[in-house]
Amino acid sequence: MLVVVVALVVALFLVAPILIVVPMSFSTAISFQFPPPGYWLGYYVRYFTGTEWLEPTLNSVVIALGATGLTMALVVPASFGYVRFRFRGKSFVNLLIMAPLVVPHVVSALAYYGFLARLRLNGTHLGVIVAHGVLAVPLAFLVITATLKGFDRNLERAAMSSGAGPLATFFHVTLPVLRPGMLVGALFAFLSSFNEAVVALFIAGRGAATLPKKMYESIRLESDPVIAVVSTLLVTTVAIGVLVSVLARGRESGAA
Amino acid sequence: MAGGVTATAALPRAAARRRARRGAATPWLLVAPSCLVLIVLFLTPIGYVLLLSVTDPNVSLGHYVRIVTVPLYSRVMVNTFLTSLIVTGLCLVLGFPVAYVMARRRGWITTLLVTIVAMSFWTGFLVRTYAWLVILGNKGPVAAAYAALGLGSPPRLLFTSFSSTLGMTHILLPYMILALYAVMKKIDPSYLKAAASLGARPGAAFRSVFLPLSLPGVVNGCLLVFVVCLGFFVTPVLLGTPRDMMISQLINQQIEELLAWGFASAVAVVLLAATGILLTIYNRFAGLDRLWG
Repeated sequence: MLVVVVALVVALFLVAPILIVVPMSFSTAISFQFPPPGYWLGYYVRYFTGTEWLEPTLNSVVIALGATGLTMALVVPASFGYVRFRFRGKSFVNLLIMAPLVVPHVVSALAYYGFLARLRLNGTHLGVIVAHGVLAVPLAFLVITATLKGFDRNLERAAMSSGAGPLATFFHVTLPVLRPGMLVGALFAFLSSFNEAVVALFIAGRGAATLPKKMYESIRLESDPVIAVVSTLLVTTVAIGVLVSVLARGRESGAA
Repeated sequence: MAGGVTATAALPRAAARRRARRGAATPWLLVAPSCLVLIVLFLTPIGYVLLLSVTDPNVSLGHYVRIVTVPLYSRVMVNTFLTSLIVTGLCLVLGFPVAYVMARRRGWITTLLVTIVAMSFWTGFLVRTYAWLVILGNKGPVAAAYAALGLGSPPRLLFTSFSSTLGMTHILLPYMILALYAVMKKIDPSYLKAAASLGARPGAAFRSVFLPLSLPGVVNGCLLVFVVCLGFFVTPVLLGTPRDMMISQLINQQIEELLAWGFASAVAVVLLAATGILLTIYNRFAGLDRLWG
């Protein structure tokens, strides 16, 4: 029983600081003051009516979508090649694909800063998309290879023996079965880009400033209260996503 | 049953072997785009950092000598190592009971804990760092509580190694919990029942059955937290102090303020090497794909 109490206290330590941003977003204070001296919606108005925060938000979405596209285009074929075949140099391929996960982000950030400067891609969307896309490769690879390993190939054999060609089998059997795993892989890639701060801080510049970069700068330089609004919107989005998945899983296990 | 399992497992393997003989190029065509992109757009930039660390401004190992011999810099290395150790220890102590309850219980408590851990795992570092700035700030709830209790103003909390350690612990705790939970939920409860039926008290059953079985999770979690902490950037920069710098703060300072590419690169290489050594040791014993799996 004691352990349950301890676990709940630790859980409170995890969640309370995250929830504090909600009342902060309605605060009238111009600095980081808690409890708030009064409540209004002024900073929400400021977030939604100015380009100062909306532009980084849009940048983040565009970059995360682009990075996800790049990651999936690389990872989906690689996962099939890796799981379904044996070939020489397989462990080297695995090591290469895992490399971005092993290298600390600040090292990757420094590397991309120097590299993209030579290609004149610092401060461009393309530069950040490439960096984020590459960094998400190992995450998506882990998810999608795991899904592929669990795939029952008898389904493909059944389709083939019923007269379906390889392409028809792939699009009508393989892909639909693997779709949930693919979606999870894509979601990981999207979120890893959307939440990524360090590499973006180094390479995004003014032109492609992402939301985490804008948040970092607003904390460091000006302490703009709108950051509470952004944080609240992000926390709410995450909370909805988590609750939906927890409830969906709960209903699944309840039905079974 | 056993025969059936091996037969179906052997089938795809046999098919794969047949296919491997038929077209050895197919797997390479599938993995080539990834490999090419990673070599050109990842290894090359990293290699460039390695190169810069020994060539900028001139060819020498001088930067590395400075890191080791100049007390200011060697202290950053030691400080990073110790801070990561403290954060890892705190995460383990705080995370273990949570993962234990998540793995061993059912019902609303588990649902609540899973929800909270997942929420904090997916909430960005910057949101959580910002939250700590509010909490520990001089107009924050801690200061308000001090005033309400008539204790005057609290000691300086923000921009110290305390606030940076606290922030990092808070941010990395969900990683530890998930690593522990992944291993703990696979421990068969009947082992503990067997221990009890053989006369072990709950404490003894925990120590001699559950704890040893959960050790792989402890190793995974500790390594994961320690490695991420070594290179942690955002939180130490925003919550910490330049007096107790961590490695990533040093890299940032060298680039942002001094444009000292060569030295910053050398520091980055030291960080990369430390991470690499730890993960190589781990890979020897457990296999790297298990760490994030």
